[in-house]
Amino acid sequence: MRPFLLSILFLLLAACAAERRPMPELTALNGNEDVSGAKGCAAVYPQGRWQFVHSIDFSMQDGSGGTVIGVTSLAGDEISCVLMTIEGFTLFEAAYQEGKGLAVKRAVPPFDKPAFGEGLMGDVRTIFVAPPGQTMRYGRAADNGPVCRYPGIDGRTLDILPATDDCWQIRSYTSDHVMDRSITGRSCRKMGDSLIPEHLELKGFGQTGYTLKMTLINAEN
Amino acid sequence: MKLFFLFLTLTFFLPAHAPAEGSTPQAKDSEAAQAPIQLRSVKADFVQEKHLKILARPIISTGTFTFQAPQSLRWEYQKPLHSILLMHGGKVKKFIERDGRLTEEKGMQLDSMQVVLAEISNWLDGRFTDNAMFTVTFPDKNTILLTPKDKGIAALISTIELKLGDQAGLLDAVTIFEGPDSSTRLIFTNRVLNQEIPASLFTDR
Repeated sequence: MRPFLLSILFLLLAACAAERRPMPELTALNGNEDVSGAKGCAAVYPQGRWQFVHSIDFSMQDGSGGTVIGVTSLAGDEISCVLMTIEGFTLFEAAYQEGKGLAVKRAVPPFDKPAFGEGLMGDVRTIFVAPPGQTMRYGRAADNGPVCRYPGIDGRTLDILPATDDCWQIRSYTSDHVMDRSITGRSCRKMGDSLIPEHLELKGFGQTGYTLKMTLINAEN
Repeated sequence: MKLFFLFLTLTFFLPAHAPAEGSTPQAKDSEAAQAPIQLRSVKADFVQEKHLKILARPIISTGTFTFQAPQSLRWEYQKPLHSILLMHGGKVKKFIERDGRLTEEKGMQLDSMQVVLAEISNWLDGRFTDNAMFTVTFPDKNTILLTPKDKGIAALISTIELKLGDQAGLLDAVTIFEGPDSSTRLIFTNRVLNQEIPASLFTDR
């Protein structure tokens, strides 16, 4: 019986290990390779003043979920976001400004928990705000795709994959080099210098896993 | 909270009976001539404008609604998202289009329907002043203002403004003010009154 239990335990541990998505090694380009692809990473982030309206299907790990409409406004160093029902009722409204932090203007239960506002704005900033690029490394990941790798605060890392199918991907990693968030853009269209996806899928990993499927309703700048 | 959303939704199609301020006997005769018709059913198109300070332009949604007395409703958005709210025989369902298919949104608080339906009955009878949820005022004969009595609701909705149409008994527009920087306006057109409507419209997506 004991070997059987041990084998079950081993399988469970293996399954847990498989859920962890480790950060891939980055292979530096050799001197002859073209590094102009790094410019593609800049196109992932919209430049200037923008306003986006998305429908957002959210689903939690426990199977719960729903659909809301999200508004994101980018204006200089300020980001504002609003979540509302299809019927137009405002559920959550907040703004984030560099140096001032998050200011929640309205939060209707169950969207009134501080962790929700922080998490939402974290997601919004990951999607729409370019990381500081002074120390960006450009190379190839294990699957041979080009990657722009940005070290973040507290040992975190952000990878941008500018040439994924017809659009792009963003992956963020914890200080333990484990993926905690992936964002996949699909059906990108070029607007100015930016590649704006028609569809975005954000997956948050870990104990409170969740998925956001965002479909663009309107983009203006 | 879903109770409140539903309540707001249901207020949109109600026939409105606003007494004119300072009515004279002559005016009362005139009002009698425009007495609200007995509403058995109504169908209409609507345009919804969501106004927010951060929006350069309002978000426009369009759809249709169908109501049949005493308690049947179909509230359907066509754009930008296809969704349907159905109410019939005390049951409420909501469907939203995901990946090209209408799927049911679970978790509607069905037990709250009794409260909602009680409110509807009051309003259908024109008993605005008896409303337990709102203080009702009549700034002019075409406008009804609803102000929440409950502090919890007042924190979410400051006022609801109902604009009456020329045809007695129906609304032209409803505006829900959430605060100084946020409001939702619904404008109704193509209204058809008292047609026979099959029950399946209130049960089938």
